Amino acid sequence: MNEVHNTLVVEGVAKASWSELIRPLWNVSSPAWFVAAAWLATWWALNRNAERGAAASGATAERHAGRRAACALAAAAAFVLSFVSPLGALASGALFSAHMVQHLSMLLVVPLLALAALPRERAGGRFARSPWRGIGAILGIAPLGWALGLGAMWVWHEPTACSAATRSAALGAVRDATFLLAGTAFWWPIAGPVARDRLEPPLALAYLFSACLGCTVLGILITFTPLAVGPVFADNASGALAELPLVARLRGLGFTPRADQQLGGLLMWVPPCVLYAAMSMRLMARWYGEHRRSPEGAAGLPAAGASAMVVATTATETTP
Amino acid sequence: MTVGPLDDPVMVPVDAADPSAGEGAVASAGRGGGAAGSAARGLLGWVSTVDHKRVGVMYILTALLFLLVGGLEAIVIRLQLAFPRMTLVSPEVFNQLFTMHGTTMVFLVGMPVLVGFANYFVPLMIGARDVAFPRLNAMSYWLLPCGGLLLHFSVLTGAAPDAGWFAYAPLSTKPYSSLPGVDYWIAGLLLLGVGSIAAALNIIATVICERARGMSLQRLPLFVWMTFVTAVLTVMALPALNAALAMLLVDRWLGAAIFQPARGGSAILWQHFFWIFGHPEVYILILPGFGMISEVVPVFSRKPIYGYGFVAGSTIAIGLLSFGVWAHHMFTAGLGSAADIFFAIGSLLIAIPTGIKVFNWTATMWGGSLRLNTSMCFAVAFLIQFVFGGLSGIAFAAVPIDWQTTDTYFVVAHFHYVLFGGLVFALFAGVYYWFPKMTGRLLDERLGKAHFWLMVVGFNATFFVQHFLGLMGMPRRVYTYDAQPGWALLNGISTLGSLVIALGVLIFAWNLLRSAFRGPIAGDNPWGGFTLEWATTSPPPPANFDVVPPIRSRRPTWDLDHPENADWKNRPTAEDRGTRPERGVVAVWAFIASEAMFFVLLLSAFVVFNSAGPTTAAGPAAADATVAAGRAGADLDIPRTLGFTACLLASSATFWMALRALRRAIPAEAAVGADAARRSAGVRRCMAWLAATIVLGAVFLANQVSEYIGLVRRGVTIDRDLFAATFFTVTGFHGLHVFAGVVMLCVMLWLVRAGALSPRRAGVLHAGGLYWHFVDVVWIAVVAIVYLGAFQR
Repeated sequence: MNEVHNTLVVEGVAKASWSELIRPLWNVSSPAWFVAAAWLATWWALNRNAERGAAASGATAERHAGRRAACALAAAAAFVLSFVSPLGALASGALFSAHMVQHLSMLLVVPLLALAALPRERAGGRFARSPWRGIGAILGIAPLGWALGLGAMWVWHEPTACSAATRSAALGAVRDATFLLAGTAFWWPIAGPVARDRLEPPLALAYLFSACLGCTVLGILITFTPLAVGPVFADNASGALAELPLVARLRGLGFTPRADQQLGGLLMWVPPCVLYAAMSMRLMARWYGEHRRSPEGAAGLPAAGASAMVVATTATETTP
Repeated sequence: MTVGPLDDPVMVPVDAADPSAGEGAVASAGRGGGAAGSAARGLLGWVSTVDHKRVGVMYILTALLFLLVGGLEAIVIRLQLAFPRMTLVSPEVFNQLFTMHGTTMVFLVGMPVLVGFANYFVPLMIGARDVAFPRLNAMSYWLLPCGGLLLHFSVLTGAAPDAGWFAYAPLSTKPYSSLPGVDYWIAGLLLLGVGSIAAALNIIATVICERARGMSLQRLPLFVWMTFVTAVLTVMALPALNAALAMLLVDRWLGAAIFQPARGGSAILWQHFFWIFGHPEVYILILPGFGMISEVVPVFSRKPIYGYGFVAGSTIAIGLLSFGVWAHHMFTAGLGSAADIFFAIGSLLIAIPTGIKVFNWTATMWGGSLRLNTSMCFAVAFLIQFVFGGLSGIAFAAVPIDWQTTDTYFVVAHFHYVLFGGLVFALFAGVYYWFPKMTGRLLDERLGKAHFWLMVVGFNATFFVQHFLGLMGMPRRVYTYDAQPGWALLNGISTLGSLVIALGVLIFAWNLLRSAFRGPIAGDNPWGGFTLEWATTSPPPPANFDVVPPIRSRRPTWDLDHPENADWKNRPTAEDRGTRPERGVVAVWAFIASEAMFFVLLLSAFVVFNSAGPTTAAGPAAADATVAAGRAGADLDIPRTLGFTACLLASSATFWMALRALRRAIPAEAAVGADAARRSAGVRRCMAWLAATIVLGAVFLANQVSEYIGLVRRGVTIDRDLFAATFFTVTGFHGLHVFAGVVMLCVMLWLVRAGALSPRRAGVLHAGGLYWHFVDVVWIAVVAIVYLGAFQR
């Protein structure tokens, strides 16, 4: 009975075109839209306040405002796509590599773009005032940001935790929230809006270099370990999602759970390191240009984030 | 290894704590240590020296000695291969020869000579009086001859190591190499590794903390910058080798089977560990060479370097990328095509920052008024040959080409173009450039040119033809060959070339000897050099500078010589903000990074062998590991371990209290009358907290000993299975670190008691404490992975 069913599925899969396989995976009714809308509203409010405060004008200010708006929209888009696009459906139990793309988007891409979208604050600004002060103080501790960023990566790839968060929607939401928060804490000392909290370039280089080693080691572990890091993805009988026709087609083409995990590990490893390296290069450029930088400063960083992001997103989003 | 952070703080004079004491200040007789060392004369003076210049010279001379040894081995290899079916040496001796040649050239020539130059010139170029830790520096050096002798002592046992310089398992394990050669190889390399890490910590702390006022990091001479990046790479990469060697020792001496597939171990794991070290090692060797070229080319082109920021920044990029590409040495090991593709792309990416450098050097020469003396000739030859070696390297990044040519003479040709045509030529450029500074006399130009042309002709004759031999299919590391068409001719040319190289090296040695005594007097700045070392006498006085010249640009000596056309007027650079962190803290952080890498690798090995078994592609190793994981839970007493974990964590808290007590105690100078009592109360409180920390650490150790005894009584010995092997390796090394930490704490306690650690010097206690906290953090990871089974189910 089961075998017959499987054969039918396989035959159906063999006939369908790729777009027919992928189309049903769009999840247009995802609650991610609400989160994105809330973010854009918050951003708009923050930005309006900041503009009212600063009397800055002219072409440069306008360009910065435009760049910030682009970053805010890109953050929202990256967030929405992680859940609405087929990536979301595949990430919830079908493909480990899809989960990894979603993970990296939540932890590294969305927070970095969001921070780049925030108006710059010279000496604390809003984050020195009462409701935000505690948050600003905590985010200002660079080692904590480093530990949270790397900790989120490692803890949620402990196989038990990884499977549990994939099986349970509630735990999954908790995980995604910790990704966003940890990502914000991680990028704060590098690309945060408060100039005072940003690390000096040499220290920032060490911060990124060591973070790169941290994700490299995890990536290696996932790539080469014989163990299933996300058992739920490797276990074909884990539920209806594993029988997605697209997954069946991919499995038929030799994309085994093993290869899936290898790809996931390599995604954990290379795109973040490329992102860190790109940020490092940008920091170096700023550092060597320090003597001729205007006191305005700090405006270059969001651009660096955005350009580094292009590299990272093109690298990650071409995966199945 | 724990000596590092504790080495020096006690004897640092007060003025060294003030980082800005450099400029304008008349140098006193140097650091306590430096003065003592240079006071003694003759041989004793050299043996007991802690002066960075003398240590540097000893490094270079030792490396030169080993260069002759390694070169001789190479000549014998080439003679054996001169004709088909030669019988000059037996196959066994041939294996020993290429193993010793590779090991000698990498560990006893390449690394030491670069550390030697770094030792001599980094402090001079940044206007410092010495390195950050002069005594640690002397220790690093003396580990070199010890390691070298240990390695060569194996010859006397009748069994030099013969498993190749990367000692692939299982060939290097006991069943296949039962003679002690490999054991000497391991012990020698461990010693050298410890010495290299210590030297690298020293360089890092020197560059960050000992710069003269005005020398902002953005103004560092490129040689210093690249040496600094090299030191960071050394600190992060060598632990991988040390971890691998430690596990191989456990295999060979204690009967474990970590690297023996026949008993469930993994030979591929050795390859991974070795190349995680081995690939960054390539950049550890070549980056200082890049640095030398970046000094020589501008001076002899009479132009500043073109695109300083690009050269410096691309060095960082190379450093980052170098850790992500090691598996391109393993394309034939069957890692799977996903991994192969990623590693291939990563390897191709490295060509970008390296290419940027080549363009920068070329652009520096463009339009300059070139002075083609021997040094510059070597630099130009370096450029051409290095590009050639780089291009064959890019070819290797393509997986199919690698599959076709790996383990042939094409590989031999490629890495000799990089390391000989690149690094060694850069070194010769550096020697001709800096010899006058080190001896006060110029090298002979006529002999130099002869040396140069013999090297160019000999080198290319030896190694260019090997590309063809490789493509024709001649395997490397085979002691002889049949008379295939063309092989005899090409091998003959190669051997002739190596003899020409030997002649060149002899001329070079003669030139060094003769010029050191009879060469023309050089003067302070014979080349019109740009950097600070040319602003002092040749050779420099023991304290390096009477007065450090003002540093306002990247070329302070040029500014001195050409005030009307000074760089700070035309090419402004970022001003120095005077940030000089406590050197003990810097060194300890670097040391912690190194140790973290070591433990990450040991723990990875534990995870690899104790995972609950894969869902796919199960092999014999996996089955064995499943059994091991099943036993793990039964063997370990988890509640008890958690109890003693609390003990260790509490010791971090007590240490923190001790540090706080010391910081709050009032300095002795300010303490008068009633304050004196309060002061001694603060110090006493500090001592009490320290003692509590020591007791907690000792309790933890005692528990570990009793746990071990219990396990052994129940038959859980290190050679039982892979669980036991990795368990004892991980927890044993952690225990060793706790032990070292307890010893360190005892020393601290004694120092506080003796009054040597006053509240003003609390930074030293802080530095030691960082290490202690680190050991605790490692233990948390060990408990999570080893006892609670994280990452294994």
